[in-house]
Amino acid sequence: MKNILNKTIIVTMAVGALVSCKPDLKAPASDKGSIDVTKYVAIGNSITSGFADGALYYEGQQVSYANLLAEQFKTVGGGDFNTPWTPMGTQGIGSSLNAKLVLGYKTDCQGVYGLSPVPAAPGYGDISIFSNNISAQGPFNNMGVPGAKVTTVVYPGYGDGTKPAGTFNPFFTRMLTSAEMATASMLSKAAEQKPTFFSVFIGNNDVLGNALAGGMSSTPITPSGGGVGTGFDASYDLIINTMMANGAKGVVGNIPDITNIPHFTTVPYNGLTLKAADATNLNAAYGATGATFKEGSGNAFMIQDASAPGGVRQIQSNEYILLGTPQDSLKCAGWGTTKPLADQYVLNVREVLNLKEAAAAYNAKIKTVAEEKGLAFVDVNAFMANAKKGIVFNGITSSAAFVSGGAFSLDGIHLTPRGNAMLANEFIKAINHTYGSTINLVDVTKYNGVVFPNP
Amino acid sequence: MTNLKKLVTTIILAAPLMVSAQGFQVNLQGQVQQGMGTAGTALIQDGASVFFNPGGVSFLKQNSVDVGMTATIANSQFLDNNSGTVNKTTSPVSTPFTAYGVFGLKDSTKKGHNFRFGMGIYTPFGSTVDWEKGWTGRYALTHLQLKAIFFQPTFSWKICEKLGIGGGFVYSTGSVNLQKDIPVVDANGNVGHAELSGKASGFGYNLGVYYKPYKYLSLGLTYRSQVNMKVNSGDATFTVPSSLSTNFPNGKFTASLPLPSVLTLGIGFTPTEKLSFALDVNYVGWKAYDTLSFDYANNTASLVDTKSARLYKNTFAVRFGGQYKITPAFAVRLGIAYANTPIQNGYVTPETPDASRYIYTAGLGYTIKNKFTINASVLYESLKRTDTNIETNLSGTYQTNVIAPGLSLSYKF
Repeated sequence: MKNILNKTIIVTMAVGALVSCKPDLKAPASDKGSIDVTKYVAIGNSITSGFADGALYYEGQQVSYANLLAEQFKTVGGGDFNTPWTPMGTQGIGSSLNAKLVLGYKTDCQGVYGLSPVPAAPGYGDISIFSNNISAQGPFNNMGVPGAKVTTVVYPGYGDGTKPAGTFNPFFTRMLTSAEMATASMLSKAAEQKPTFFSVFIGNNDVLGNALAGGMSSTPITPSGGGVGTGFDASYDLIINTMMANGAKGVVGNIPDITNIPHFTTVPYNGLTLKAADATNLNAAYGATGATFKEGSGNAFMIQDASAPGGVRQIQSNEYILLGTPQDSLKCAGWGTTKPLADQYVLNVREVLNLKEAAAAYNAKIKTVAEEKGLAFVDVNAFMANAKKGIVFNGITSSAAFVSGGAFSLDGIHLTPRGNAMLANEFIKAINHTYGSTINLVDVTKYNGVVFPNP
Repeated sequence: MTNLKKLVTTIILAAPLMVSAQGFQVNLQGQVQQGMGTAGTALIQDGASVFFNPGGVSFLKQNSVDVGMTATIANSQFLDNNSGTVNKTTSPVSTPFTAYGVFGLKDSTKKGHNFRFGMGIYTPFGSTVDWEKGWTGRYALTHLQLKAIFFQPTFSWKICEKLGIGGGFVYSTGSVNLQKDIPVVDANGNVGHAELSGKASGFGYNLGVYYKPYKYLSLGLTYRSQVNMKVNSGDATFTVPSSLSTNFPNGKFTASLPLPSVLTLGIGFTPTEKLSFALDVNYVGWKAYDTLSFDYANNTASLVDTKSARLYKNTFAVRFGGQYKITPAFAVRLGIAYANTPIQNGYVTPETPDASRYIYTAGLGYTIKNKFTINASVLYESLKRTDTNIETNLSGTYQTNVIAPGLSLSYKF
């Protein structure tokens, strides 16, 4: 019996050993198709630089879509992707010398203690980012410069730090030697690296600057027409022609409709909650303008509009209040009620139309150039429109909702690491489609959305 | 007004998932039958007939007690179509067990000798799946343990020399533990996590007819009913950044999982004393698994009750095996089975990476002095399926290899 038992066990184990082989799945090797990515250079604005949460900081730079793209390129012969790094672990710096935003706690004017984006540090951010010149670490493959427009990419002296403040871009200055400051443009610094592959994702700021100013004409929209450095089309043509001069192939992205990004969609036009007496008073005060108010929620704010009779009116559902509007003023200081919102905080229907028309014209130009030159084309506009509804990747739903959506950082304009990973995948899909490559997508699940505090 | 806290509360805890599929229907109910392709509805050989066909239990000539255990070693991998990464499971070996007892009067002159009582304790469903830490599907599932133990008191009546009927009442008790990550992160990089665990129970029955028209031919027809496993008071535990703790309150949940009915037609063929064959055809009522719902006691805007479409289809499985007795005491067995997957394209999930598959089995049996029998069996199957889940967009290829060696001991008296 014992003998038989032993034999049985041995036979069973032997059979088991024969077939117990574990699964051995392997991804097919990536193929570069018809592109050469040994030297990839990215031209772009703050999104390309990795700017997020209102500032340029190291951890954001690491996960810019361009850096993620370069990482994936390494599987098909991509080389190093030199980035104008800022110091690790600092508060970063924004365009008004501010520190990056983090999600923290704040007591508002009504005494309500709750989650809110707050500066990671009081006062200034990491000023050393502007004061330390890093040109010796160049040239930089990541030529993303926060604030850059199509018209400034081609502008020699865009980083000329010898000029008065406000007339040059300090994010670019730090990348330049003093000898080249007066003459270098973003385009010349990109082209002199003789890239074999390039990405151009630029044009957002040509409309966004105006949108962030509430559509005020003091910050105009870049016109489509006009010469290099003035008009969108001529400047764009110069960028693409210069990048392709050595036979490089590339990818271009169009620009999103600003009404799909949370900076303009988070504060609802009808976010006003009123007591009965306040509604009565407001009806009495503004009834003549056609405004109506009722007790409870869902009341539209009052805004200033020079073209309206009396200069004030109620905001419409197709108009937008900027995320930068002081929230405490809305809640406690009568903004949007007794003090109609100033134009700089509102995109009215005419301003929205201007912005949409300009963006549509840019996008038509970008599409045409991509088709004529045979470049890969990323429909970033369609991607952002989808994001508004929600995009599911491996069980994570991301959307354009502020904070909770996980795709947009705390400034409501730039992307989180997860949003960047999703954008990088749009670029990869376009490149694979156009050039027959089989570069793997980025695993979006490895990248986080907004960081929540443990108070 | 535009209170950020309200905005934050729209984070949806996407539907957590629970298991059940052909892949987790554990067809490991007797070592003799496992050796023969897991068929045995019309071939009455031992106490496992309590499970395979209560109608045939009354044809067992002796009282018996059988105990068995099968070590199920399952290894799965997932190749993510999007990123090209490969992740694997680190699941422990699971050990479904069986115990059968059959009792009755042996003296055929006494009244009531044509009745047999049986008791079966077995694990027809169950699984443990552990995906490796940080795997790409962790927001769909990280861990799943499903246990279901069936207790089946059984009565069998041999109406005449050719026909027997029987039935058993099934009480099922079990537990579920399902875990997944939640895509919220704190400053230290800790990702949110959800754990749903609870005890489940349900009732059902097992009916069978056994008909032996000729010495060499037997037929069996059985119906094992659906058993709804209900979790009435499960514990939902969430680990999230503390600023979100009110969005994900720990609390109770209820859920229900149907374990499907199985209708089986079996044929037994015994051309000689030494040689026998068994063929079973199963029709499995997986259509019952239409939706997986979780109902949380404490709902918030982030923690809403979920309903996930499963839309399983009824399926067939065919099981065939043979046994050859080299000596009256020593038997060798071989078998093969084919099982269709109940999961439609678009619904494959990491807790049940199921596919249609062939199952190969072999076994040995040795009997000592007509009292003790030791049976060994081994089962092997390999499943591979590529799918894109419509709920999670998890897209890729799953491959699972299962090897299940088992041993049982019978004592006849």
